[in-house]
Amino acid sequence: MPRFISGQFMDQAGFEIELVYTFIIVVLCFLVYYKTREIYDLTGYKGIKYFRHVFLFFGLAYAFRLFLHSLLISKIAFDFILPMRMLLPLSNMLVAYLSTMAFLYLAYSTIWKRINFEHFLYASNIIALIVAGLAFISGSHILVSMIQLLILLLIIILIISKKYQKGKKRLPMSAVYLLISMFWLINLFILGPRRFLPFELKISLQIISVIVFFVIYYKVTKLVK
Amino acid sequence: MTRKRDRLGVIYDILRIIRGNYNSIRPTPLLRYSNLSSQSFSEYYQELLEKGFVKEVIDKKGKKYITLTDKGFKYLEKYKFILGFVDEFEL
Repeated sequence: MPRFISGQFMDQAGFEIELVYTFIIVVLCFLVYYKTREIYDLTGYKGIKYFRHVFLFFGLAYAFRLFLHSLLISKIAFDFILPMRMLLPLSNMLVAYLSTMAFLYLAYSTIWKRINFEHFLYASNIIALIVAGLAFISGSHILVSMIQLLILLLIIILIISKKYQKGKKRLPMSAVYLLISMFWLINLFILGPRRFLPFELKISLQIISVIVFFVIYYKVTKLVK
Repeated sequence: MTRKRDRLGVIYDILRIIRGNYNSIRPTPLLRYSNLSSQSFSEYYQELLEKGFVKEVIDKKGKKYITLTDKGFKYLEKYKFILGFVDEFEL
């Protein structure tokens, strides 16, 4: 069974900030998912489906990340009560699976018009399950982060090539998608042992992250009346 | 413009034609006004029936008419928002 080490010290206030931050992100993700339900039901448009799934999976990934975080920081306190040796790898697996699915849906939402891959659902699940399996075996977030970073690089290439084909110069929403992916990777990275981000930097990233998610939510509510 | 975007537009056009004819039109004029091939029209028409955007009504003389459902009206109402959404989020 893999070993998990919580190397990051977090005080009560730090955890409360983390709790509020995650709660806001999760609520915004689920609101985006909920608000777009009607237009998806009306049209059955695949692009909207993939967009919705990105936020569903990111919302769930953030929620389970908080659970994992809680387990890591409460390891000492609850070691006698919770079966930590099972809970940690399982929650680690879930976070890896959900976030990889979010990344894959994000990648596919940029290319589905050009490459209509009929078996995307199966393929994405297989890839996400492999990543989750690797997370379980290695017990490390760094491996998951590296794989997701590769997917992010793929997304960047796809977006750039798409824009190049269309001849557009600005990257408004694509830049937002890249930002939410990067925020996730940073959040996942700092879960690992002995990866301490200065409080000021961390809180700044969290505020920017909340603003980006809020901008997406605001645009969705503005467009979907 | 993509094929999928076209699909949204074609559905919008068909529904708009029905609404423009006092929400009651025979299949043949609808095919003519929609500027589609018979096969394409047939596919779209089946899709509209299956998704509940339109329904068939038989009058006393046994003639078949096509009318919009509430969902069909809603699609027309939301079409601009849907297009705006797809464009804004580059979907």
